[in-house]
Amino acid sequence: MERELLRSTASKVEISDIDLESGPFSMSFNFNLEPLKASINRFGVLNPPYLLKNSDSRFTVVAGYRRLLAVRELGWTDILCQIAPDTFPPFKALLLNLSDNITHRQLNTIEKGMVLKRLTRFLKREEIITDFMPIIGIRANKQTLELFLGLEELEEAIKASVAMERLSLRVAGLMTSIARDDRLRINDLLTSIKWSFNQQWEATQWIIEIASREGCSIKDVIDGGEITEVLNSRRMNNPQKVRSIVKILRARRFPTLVETEKLFRKGLSHLSLPLGVKIIPPPFFEGVGYRLEIVFTKGQELKGKLAELSRFSGLERVTDFWKGKEHR
Amino acid sequence: MKQFNISRILIEEGAEHDSLAKKILRRLPNIPIENVGPDELAPSGDIEGMDKESLRLMHFNGEFLKPCPGTRGYICCGYQILNVGTNCPMDCSYCFLQSYINQPSLRIFSNLEDNLTVIGEIIDSSPDRIFRIGTGEFTDSLSLDYITGWTDFLLPFFSRRKNSILELKTKTSSIELIINSRYRKRIVIAWSLNTPRIIAHQEHKTASLKSRILAARKCQKAGFVLSFHFDPLIHYPGWEKEYQETVELLERYIDPESIIWISLGSFRYLPDLKWIINRRFPGTNIFNGEFVPGLDGKFRYFKPIRVEMYSNLSQRLKKWHDDLGVYLCMESDDIWRQSLGWSPESSADLCSYLDSRVRNLIPD
Repeated sequence: MERELLRSTASKVEISDIDLESGPFSMSFNFNLEPLKASINRFGVLNPPYLLKNSDSRFTVVAGYRRLLAVRELGWTDILCQIAPDTFPPFKALLLNLSDNITHRQLNTIEKGMVLKRLTRFLKREEIITDFMPIIGIRANKQTLELFLGLEELEEAIKASVAMERLSLRVAGLMTSIARDDRLRINDLLTSIKWSFNQQWEATQWIIEIASREGCSIKDVIDGGEITEVLNSRRMNNPQKVRSIVKILRARRFPTLVETEKLFRKGLSHLSLPLGVKIIPPPFFEGVGYRLEIVFTKGQELKGKLAELSRFSGLERVTDFWKGKEHR
Repeated sequence: MKQFNISRILIEEGAEHDSLAKKILRRLPNIPIENVGPDELAPSGDIEGMDKESLRLMHFNGEFLKPCPGTRGYICCGYQILNVGTNCPMDCSYCFLQSYINQPSLRIFSNLEDNLTVIGEIIDSSPDRIFRIGTGEFTDSLSLDYITGWTDFLLPFFSRRKNSILELKTKTSSIELIINSRYRKRIVIAWSLNTPRIIAHQEHKTASLKSRILAARKCQKAGFVLSFHFDPLIHYPGWEKEYQETVELLERYIDPESIIWISLGSFRYLPDLKWIINRRFPGTNIFNGEFVPGLDGKFRYFKPIRVEMYSNLSQRLKKWHDDLGVYLCMESDDIWRQSLGWSPESSADLCSYLDSRVRNLIPD
């Protein structure tokens, strides 16, 4: 890009003349102003904010949004700013802000989404993917871009969960396809106790799909007796609660699979296999090969267990226990 | 004949001299033309919607005749794909091309006709082998025929080759051009079938079930051999009754004697496709079934569900006629045995089975 110096003018501006909503160039979300306020209180504003005069003679923030919020909270009535010329193009204002931000801090996930969304006003998606996603540390592809672009439409509570890394980005992306109240309910469930991101992903997909399968609402799925009971349980700790909820959802989402697993375990339990011997079915029963696992400490013990197994009556009955009991 | 809206023609560099491109341009005289580079996405196309109103003429540099890629860990039928183009103007929600190819526009390989000699040499060089060839894998074989004129040159070309058959697979009822042709021998007209509910909710812009079956009946009466593909079977409340009713409709209008084969396959998808479908068809219920990862990484219905669907449908088909050449698409030996009561055991043996149906139903 051609190097071009910004010829701005220093000027003292009344805080009340500045639009302090998150404007078209700002990319700040879910931040703590206290450290900045403490610094400004002690040393003043080290770098002046940049402003652009807008059509109704007020000022739009180009860079320094957080500094301006901090001084307002500190009770300042005016501040020395740099005013960009009226001819300063909005796209360059956006780039200035981006450059100002990424050189001194990490953007959170929501802020990255804000950057990309603002860029779509000026650039084709292909250009954003190749030229900007790598700069802000995002895997450059269309799918990821769409995921980030959808974040802005989410509610503040959900965005805050994502920004604080309490809710996975993928789950937030999935939430864009469901109604407002439903996603807020899922956000509550997934942030009221600690889930791994993989567990969040599975549970969210299952909740949405259970609602679709059973023709009920997402709220009904979550507020159904079993899950509420687990959430209110005093016997279980948080990881146990998450595991229980995952189990409840899985059984409801995959009733045939879970029933088959039960039949398999029941079939094996009748065999009373020797201690330390396990028969493991193919993953999801999709293949045909079963595995035998024998735990032993010494070769002698292995030999003994193999001999015991060879005499063991009932092994020949190990089979697809679900056969003949097909799904109805 | 249903005509689809084509709002522009994109000509890739190098395609302008191909004979098929020239013919297509003559058939569509009033459509705006844009020139594009080989890897260049057309400006302002409806990329998200697969840009299905743009016809992209391209000089194809790959192999025109290629074995169906099949899938790892399952029995495949040894089909050969004739690459005539990719994408189709219809819009089935479950279409694997959305993720498998992931390239927008209706892409037509404009040098196909110029390469027929090469294709002929491949077929003629193995006279003892049967080539079961189809154009309906990466596009619909008939939906764009009124523009491309594919059947004008493919029908005579395959009709005279004793060791091949050409299967034209479609979800349309656009049969006027083939009916009016004078070629019948070694041409199989195939319909992809599903229940009226699935057609209405998932197979957008396609012909209704009844139109497809009536079109098949006309083709049969005109002397064509037929085949049907129940693929993808979708598991939903009421599937059993509705698939049975679909077979009943076949039974009412079609003579089973000249059906060369009927395939059954259940809905399967690569993980990426789920994201695309959910995005393009929000609120779809196509993923409501119990899907588990298969041996090839694709998600499939949990085995007992597949077995139940296949055995239910195959028994109903058997009740209609006991020699329909029913086979399973991309399934394991185990599933074959449980569903159909027999198995070809290997891809090679399934090939032989289907080849023998060609020899029996379409003798020299």
